[in-house]
Amino acid sequence: MLYRNFNFFFLVWVLLTSLTACQEEEYILPEPISQLTNDCLKRTIGPSIASLPIEFAYAMAIPKSQGKLVSAQVEASIPGGTGTYLEHRSYYTNSGGVDIPVTVGSPSTAVDNGKSSKVTFTVDTNAVTLRYYYIVPDEAKGQTVSFTFSVNSSDGKTASYKMGPYNISKMSIKKNLTVSNGTNAFISIEDMAIYNATSAAAIPDKVDLVYLYRASPASFTHALVSPSADAAYLPSVTLPTGLKKSTKLRKVFGLQDRNLANLQFGIYVDDIDLTSVDMTDMPNYAIGLRAEAGVWVETADKKYRAYIYINSVNATGSAVLSMLRYTL
Amino acid sequence: MTIYFKIILAVLLLTSSFFSCEKDSFVDEDGLLITFRSECFVSNFELLGADFVTVRAAPAIIDTVAQTIDVLVLFGTDLKNVYPQFTLATDCKLDPKITGKMDLSNLSDSKIFTVVSGNRLVRKPYKLIIKYQ
Repeated sequence: MLYRNFNFFFLVWVLLTSLTACQEEEYILPEPISQLTNDCLKRTIGPSIASLPIEFAYAMAIPKSQGKLVSAQVEASIPGGTGTYLEHRSYYTNSGGVDIPVTVGSPSTAVDNGKSSKVTFTVDTNAVTLRYYYIVPDEAKGQTVSFTFSVNSSDGKTASYKMGPYNISKMSIKKNLTVSNGTNAFISIEDMAIYNATSAAAIPDKVDLVYLYRASPASFTHALVSPSADAAYLPSVTLPTGLKKSTKLRKVFGLQDRNLANLQFGIYVDDIDLTSVDMTDMPNYAIGLRAEAGVWVETADKKYRAYIYINSVNATGSAVLSMLRYTL
Repeated sequence: MTIYFKIILAVLLLTSSFFSCEKDSFVDEDGLLITFRSECFVSNFELLGADFVTVRAAPAIIDTVAQTIDVLVLFGTDLKNVYPQFTLATDCKLDPKITGKMDLSNLSDSKIFTVVSGNRLVRKPYKLIIKYQ
């Protein structure tokens, strides 16, 4: 009997609980910001490479009743390279999608031994967004860098916003190097430069590749060949004395790095790509190269790895190359 | 009497739980379904370079009677790092398997790839003959 009663009450309890609805949470109006406040976002994506900018947008605002903005500044943990600055203009986008500047302060000045960039506002303003361009210096390679954005208002208040730390790539970049068949045809990965035969003869240990163009056979066209490659891949080429390096090459197609391709496409080559690419048994020549193709390169002494991107080719026997180099 | 019946039933249930199902015998050692098909041939062949772009100078000539695949590759092709791609008749498989890049640079020693039919009863070895342009 007791058992039956227990079952009955249990059933009733289950039924009752199933009828209970959750109480709806009431919406609470957010409190309006009543003091100096700031926010920041990083606009640049992809790896941070020495000599290239990292762009931020720093927004700051204060209620009109509290005062106005007086100055804004950014402090980087490693002083930025030449060209680092905090924008003194605020931008809005017009109906045509073009960013239109509005001057709100005096051009930024470098303070604190170049670690900081400061803008003093010259117009009465309560809300503004400033862009910050940090040029990654060479000495930051392989390190991390962080930023402190801060703003001062006329009521004596300060607000700050920390960004980072961000890893800085160990890669070096060189863009738009023009090579031409028979003249400026000698490529040095170490120097990230192009030489003619006379200059190459003076630095034979630094020349890793030779650019050449041959219309025949049809599969040859634009080529990057090691000085010590088989003579079949260096037809009618008289190398300057001393050139003998055997550089490994691996052809790639469809890897249009955004930085090398002058901000086209959305692909990035990063440090990990250069360290993990398998160069075992790769040949010391790459023929049949075309625009938007590329080659992974490993120098004979295994000191450097590089990614050479072909920006454009010309059927008269020239090409424009860009490269990323990683020191192993 | 009822208790005995329950005990016997429980013992039966326990013992039956120890039996496992017999493995399905309709799959081969690679876990692929063995079918009734006996067709066994290569219908298409492709050869890609390290950049995954074709290195063929012309379409591959597949002779299903002589069981040969003749491929003419472009001048300068690095045959140490190539990716062969076979298209086979339905349900067939290839032996040896292609798991990544291959070294086909030894032109004097033609590589043999065997096509195995869907019913796994027919095996046809194809000789891959590569020549430079």
